[in-house]
Amino acid sequence: MSARLEIDRIETSYGATRVLKGVSLDVAPGEFVALLGSSGCGKTTLLRTIAGFLSADAGEIRVGGRDISGEPPDRRGMAMVFQSYALWPHMTVAQNVGYGLRLKKWDRARIDARVNEILAMLKLDGFGHRNVTQLSGGQRQRVALGRALAVEPQVLLLDEPLSNLDARIREDVRHEIKALQKSLGITAIHVTHDREEAMVMADRIVILDAGQIAQVGPPETIYNAPNSPFVAAFMGATNVVRIEAERSGEAIVVAPGAGNRPARLARPGPQGFARGKLVAHFRSEAAELADAGADFADSLMLPGRIVQAAYPGGVWRYSVAVGESQFLVDAPEKRALGDAVAVRVPADALHLYQAGAS
Amino acid sequence: MGPNRNISILLTVPALVVVALLFIYPLGFSLVGAFQDKAGAWTLGNFGRAWDLYRLDTAFTVVIVLVSCALIAFFSVAIGGYLTLGESRVAKAILNFVYRWPLFIPFIVAAQCMRTFIARNGMMNMTLVYFGILDLDQVQGFLDWRGIVFTFVWKQTPFVALMVAGAMAGLDRATIEAARNLGASRLRILVEIVVPQVSRTLAVGLVLSFVTMMSVLSVPLMLSGQSPSMLTVNMAWRINSVGDYGTANALGFVSYLMTGFAAWFYLRHGMRERAGR
Ligand SMILES: Nc1ncnc2c1ncn2[C@@H]1O[C@H](COP(=O)(O)OP(=O)(O)O)[C@@H](O)[C@H]1O
Ligand SMILES: [Mg+2]
Repeated sequence: MSARLEIDRIETSYGATRVLKGVSLDVAPGEFVALLGSSGCGKTTLLRTIAGFLSADAGEIRVGGRDISGEPPDRRGMAMVFQSYALWPHMTVAQNVGYGLRLKKWDRARIDARVNEILAMLKLDGFGHRNVTQLSGGQRQRVALGRALAVEPQVLLLDEPLSNLDARIREDVRHEIKALQKSLGITAIHVTHDREEAMVMADRIVILDAGQIAQVGPPETIYNAPNSPFVAAFMGATNVVRIEAERSGEAIVVAPGAGNRPARLARPGPQGFARGKLVAHFRSEAAELADAGADFADSLMLPGRIVQAAYPGGVWRYSVAVGESQFLVDAPEKRALGDAVAVRVPADALHLYQAGAS
Repeated sequence: MGPNRNISILLTVPALVVVALLFIYPLGFSLVGAFQDKAGAWTLGNFGRAWDLYRLDTAFTVVIVLVSCALIAFFSVAIGGYLTLGESRVAKAILNFVYRWPLFIPFIVAAQCMRTFIARNGMMNMTLVYFGILDLDQVQGFLDWRGIVFTFVWKQTPFVALMVAGAMAGLDRATIEAARNLGASRLRILVEIVVPQVSRTLAVGLVLSFVTMMSVLSVPLMLSGQSPSMLTVNMAWRINSVGDYGTANALGFVSYLMTGFAAWFYLRHGMRERAGR
């Protein structure tokens, strides 16, 4: 029942405000794509455009090769799970799940059988007669999922379905949804603003930034090779240091700067880079704390002072003041506030971009 | 907290006194009056007279008010539904602008306008004749129970529609989109998704309209002179022309029971709904 979904240069506006600025995306049959972006970047808008609740100003949407841009929402073979779940409070669980089948004029017995099947699949057996207002968040979420799956859609659209759940339940539900999607072989687009959720659930991640796709790729590529400072920062490489460097063969030579010592990094730097300013992003867990005087080869060294310490669990997280900037660095050992240290960032932990690239 | 609380209770005293003096006292007075004869002795005679003279009018009143309520419910759901689910922005804007006007027109003015509008030679018939929809010899006046219902519906629909449309606007739009997503038509969405979620508001609006219509004198008085008439007209007649306060109080007691029943129905419904949540 799964189909290829092609989104071709879609543009959508609210009144005069253009929200989607030409989004193109190919989703293979049975693929699970996570649409990741910060709040307000247009994720819901894209999903609602795909579902047909908003009409695109330009572009095409195809399901299984068929252009559905002009079709009403119910002719698109898509089912949506809403962020608020949007369950109908005046109906029971079974009535919610079976509503789409009633619209399809299935007979009573067949609807009951299908609803029971869905409820069993979602571990909601015996909840059919409950009022949806008497369910927990996780159960409501599953009813919403069941309502969407009951009609056997070709494409499943999920709008932040987990963001209203407790952190602990969320982890379980992630795996449940993913397993269900795989076993049904359904094509799915899952909207989220949670990086980790996208990483663990998706076959492929799409990063959306202000109505445009910033990067598309498998989780490990997005994580390890973000193609822009925006994606790097969004994927957790929030420490930023500006450096002057020059290319030398397959390495770059970093000049001493306001925060950094001179260094030689055994990597070529961004494509087409010869010399000039670079923006380097790195993750707190990819850096280390060294003693103030220590020096390491093939690393960027940033001497500074510890100004804050916290213990989020497993490792200590230090805030290190280096010149005007502050960096977050994880380290296993306990150090005192005010200690002089050097932040060591190994060359392969740096994401380098030409300054001014964006 | 203690002294503060006493002060706030103290501050409500003037309001309570006003309510007691202007409302509870006269209400109690007329309720008691329903069970007393002219000399002040206890009796059920007033109710006997009311039953003999006005049982048809009582039924007439109930039917008129219930029919009006049904029509008001229908039209206010239609208006609210169009404002919530309609496609045309222009039509919605116009409807939204226009539908509230009758709210600002007092019953007595509305009744006066209706007299000239729906009479045998009134504007409505003449317009229909002008456009060839009716023949001149087919026209009939509506200055009877139909005129009363027409005026009640015209006057009260905007009030209920205002409440219902507000409640509909407050619904989670996603509950509507979820139904559309599964293929429900607009009408089905209105009937199966939207109205059930605003049924409490609709019920409140109808109960308030019920009570309002029960207490309007001008409309039945001006639009339908003939018998049977509504209880308000009968009460006015007993007091103004006959000086018979006892029977008027008995009729008042009967209409009080009716509105009380409506209120009880609403409360019971509301309780059950809340218990269901
Ligand atoms: N109904 C609307 N009318 C006007 N602007 C809207 C509407 N819905 C969303 N927007 C705007 O469009 C942008 C994208 O919104 P949305 O797609 O909901 O973001 P996301 O789901 O990624 O948080 C936001 O700037 C938001 O303010
Ligand atoms: Mg959103």
